[in-house]
Amino acid sequence: MNATAPAISVRGLKKSYGDVHAVKGIDFEIQPGEVFGLLGPNGAGKTTTVEILEGLRARSGGEVSVLGFDPDRQRQQLKDRIGVCLQATNLPEKIRVHEAMQVFASFYTRHVDLARLLQRLQLQEKREAFYSTLSGGQKQRLALALALVNDPQLIFLDEPTTGLDPQVRVEIHTLLEELKREHRTILMTTHYIEEAERLCDRVAIVDEGRIIALDTPAGLQRQSKTSSSIAVACATRFPENLPQWADAVKSELDSTGRILTVHSRRPAVTLVDLVKWIDQHGLELTDVHLKQPSLEDVFIELTGKSLRD
Amino acid sequence: MKSYTALIALDLKLALRNRSVIFFNYLFPLIFFFIFGQAMHAERGAAMTIVIAMVLIIGILGNGFFGAGIRAVQEREANILRRYKVTPITPAPLLIASVVTGWILYMPNVILIFTLAHFLYGMPWPQSMLSILIFITLAIIAFRAMGMIIASVVNSMQESQLVVQLIYLPMLFLSGATFPLAMFPPWLLVVTQFVPATYMVTGIQGMLLRNENLITDIQPALALVMTGALGIFIAYKLFRWEKEEKIRNSAKLWLAAVLAPFLLLGFWQIHARTGVAKTKILNRQLARSDTFLIRGARIFVGDGRVIENGSVLVRGGKVAEVFDGPAPEPKKLNAEVVEAAGKTILPGLIDVHVHLGAPGGFYPDMNKYYEDPEKGLRRELAAYLYSGVTTVRSVGDLLDGMLKLRGEVSSGEILGSDLKTCGPLFTAAGGHGTEYFKGLPENVRQRAEAQFLRIPSSADEARQQVDELKKQDADCVKAILESGGGGLVYNRLDTALFDAVAEESHKDSLPLAVHTGDARDVADAVQARADSIEHGSFREKIPDAAFDQMAKQGAFYDPTLSVGEALKDFAAGKTDLLKRSLVQQVGPGDLLQGTEEAMASPEVEARRKAIAQYPVDMAIAADNLKRAYEHRVLLVTGSDAGNPLVIHGPTVQRELELWVKAGIPAAAALQAATANAARLLRQESHVGSIRPGNDADLLLVDGNPLEDITATERISLVVFKGERIDRSELFDQH
Repeated sequence: MNATAPAISVRGLKKSYGDVHAVKGIDFEIQPGEVFGLLGPNGAGKTTTVEILEGLRARSGGEVSVLGFDPDRQRQQLKDRIGVCLQATNLPEKIRVHEAMQVFASFYTRHVDLARLLQRLQLQEKREAFYSTLSGGQKQRLALALALVNDPQLIFLDEPTTGLDPQVRVEIHTLLEELKREHRTILMTTHYIEEAERLCDRVAIVDEGRIIALDTPAGLQRQSKTSSSIAVACATRFPENLPQWADAVKSELDSTGRILTVHSRRPAVTLVDLVKWIDQHGLELTDVHLKQPSLEDVFIELTGKSLRD
Repeated sequence: MKSYTALIALDLKLALRNRSVIFFNYLFPLIFFFIFGQAMHAERGAAMTIVIAMVLIIGILGNGFFGAGIRAVQEREANILRRYKVTPITPAPLLIASVVTGWILYMPNVILIFTLAHFLYGMPWPQSMLSILIFITLAIIAFRAMGMIIASVVNSMQESQLVVQLIYLPMLFLSGATFPLAMFPPWLLVVTQFVPATYMVTGIQGMLLRNENLITDIQPALALVMTGALGIFIAYKLFRWEKEEKIRNSAKLWLAAVLAPFLLLGFWQIHARTGVAKTKILNRQLARSDTFLIRGARIFVGDGRVIENGSVLVRGGKVAEVFDGPAPEPKKLNAEVVEAAGKTILPGLIDVHVHLGAPGGFYPDMNKYYEDPEKGLRRELAAYLYSGVTTVRSVGDLLDGMLKLRGEVSSGEILGSDLKTCGPLFTAAGGHGTEYFKGLPENVRQRAEAQFLRIPSSADEARQQVDELKKQDADCVKAILESGGGGLVYNRLDTALFDAVAEESHKDSLPLAVHTGDARDVADAVQARADSIEHGSFREKIPDAAFDQMAKQGAFYDPTLSVGEALKDFAAGKTDLLKRSLVQQVGPGDLLQGTEEAMASPEVEARRKAIAQYPVDMAIAADNLKRAYEHRVLLVTGSDAGNPLVIHGPTVQRELELWVKAGIPAAAALQAATANAARLLRQESHVGSIRPGNDADLLLVDGNPLEDITATERISLVVFKGERIDRSELFDQH
């Protein structure tokens, strides 16, 4: 694999279980150091795709290269080089944290310094603890530690924060950002929009076994047909007759007459014009809020379904 | 490699942290050990070997099915294996680590149990300990492999519980691990030969009891190896990391593939039956390993000594000690007590002259009797044992049948008196012995004669025939010197040929038993240094000089008064002999009834008349015996059972009664039936007297046979090779 070769390259990937076509032809490439998100509702084919790339399942069709390996034919070599954090895995209840690290380290041809890895994941104080006594966040940190035990350049994270409480999610996000800074390639699936927005360089939206959009989070937002909106609130009521501000599409008042929402194609231009107008009319501005279309909006727009049903 | 050691280390730690693993691997077998040990009186003998085999098998089954099988399913169901799946390991380190861990966890338990058995129950350290440990190792590998296959083919925890119970329970109950195989009917014993655990039970028991080793138990050892190897291979092929991966129902047939070695072994056993036989032998051995003290009895030692109040300690099939006066506390001896006040202990009686091939009477349907002659032979030996006649010598029977039967009783496969046999008899063409086959079809007659008769036509041939018998492992040589009497005329064996037979017998160290009809026959037999004179004469007075010569030579005199009495009764149509209590008990009923009826039938009348021609004078016979006694000839008891009205069973008792009536002191008569007979059979270092080291073949009777010889018929207990014979069950085994 040379320096410019993609870490992952997928072309025309298909997977069927009998008559059920879970993946219907997917193409994408992930560059070294990139964080790539697969976003989609349950059953979209995300996990199947990832498991094919990890060498856990055989594909039905298409071409796949992961770190230069064919996951179907070079399974053991591939698994030796990647880190994986799966959904819904467990360890024996009575295994101690450091024992889990040791046993997993023994599976690989090389491994990092285990003490330092534990420290990095803030688990050194728990090194003697049984797996069953760990909290959800600690278990997930241990899962990440196990995924990093062989110092992988490519990491697969399947819904790394699903089921965790918000505070723990933030912890994990911080860790992932660190990994990102280390230029590790990450392929993650998620159905948390914020996660994708915050962590991913690029996001592919997957639905019914196909990629229906693939871009940077900002690029996806730009692709959206939905316009941005500016909401302003004043201490007093707005006048009845409102003007046409620069680049505004339409404007509307709420029932109190004190909150005005202006939709715009270029909100930066419209906002300047709007503030000037408020100032000229002697209105007392109490709040300004700029709202851009989210990935969720894009997702709903593209798929017609919510992410979490 | 490091993944193997890391997983083994981890599995061990996890197991030791798991209370149920500790409980089932260590505490549970110990509980069974002590319960079985107490319940089965393991301190008294080889019952400990049953206890050990049971406890080990229960442990190995649990270790395999629950330790390996159910745990593997648990790990899959809990998504633990799924985590391993994304690492570069194959199923091999997981499977191997499971087997190795199971073995490491189990072996200390094996050592512990043997140590406890040794120090708490006094079991000697097994001689074949290495074989036992290797055998157990193979068993653990095989049963863990079976457990892992079950894990591979079931789709859920529930299913695994069900399949494990379906396999575990039959193995527990049909292997002898929980119910002794001795309790099983024959058809079920065949079924047990298909159960892998059976081979573990019989293998371990055989190694403990009979010092068998891996070589002698190579069949089950190989089957375990094959099951282990096949099991691990298939478990590897069918390994599933995730519960979502379901397996086709047809794949469950792989389980059958693993059991295939035992399926083959089972079918082989249906043919060979060595497994069933071995099971019976092991059970026999166990029954013979008891320790008990017969206390407070008169002891007739056999060699002429009498202990008026003594005790006999039986241990491990042998007479361990004989106490004159009070015996030590039975508790200290770890012995059960048999109270025997007012009773007399005798060595098991010996009949040195029987023909097992003839039933001693007439069955209503003789064809039926000849259909399964082996069954009849076995029953006859059971009848002797029932009657306290613990050794019999066959002097003229079909050779192969006798050798086979001798093997079966001596191994313990069937329960019956010990058998010694001369096989065929040496006689002349047209001589005594040839008359039995006259009526038979040509081909049957030839086969029977080849087994029953030796008719040498030259001295060389005679010698060759004796050597041949020696090679076939006959115990003695029987020759006929008889020219008949009354209207019955027999060709007598040529003296030169007879002398050749005698010489060769002496050379081959085979005791020579000679049938004699008159004084000349006796003289010739004594001249040829016969070891025993059978019958002596019923019609002629044997000269004192002949008896003196016999006494000098150490020849034995076997007067067989029983057959003389029976011949007279038979000729007279009397059936009193069938009405003796013990005869009625040993039966069989149809034989007794058939004989009663035959005695009244016209067909038998011809035979009765023929026999009546043979001159029998009981007074002469009694006088010969009396004078033999007076001339200090060694006497032995023989009955010639098999002849009409001499029913196999309580033969020696009747013979003794006739002797006492003839004026022989009871003590001399009893010595003839025990120590003397043992000497004639050259078995005096095993049987015939009650002394430490001899086989515990004992007859316990009510009363004092030294005062009333009929006391020998009032049997209280028969002990055979240390086993207290359950006489009422004796005839059910056939």
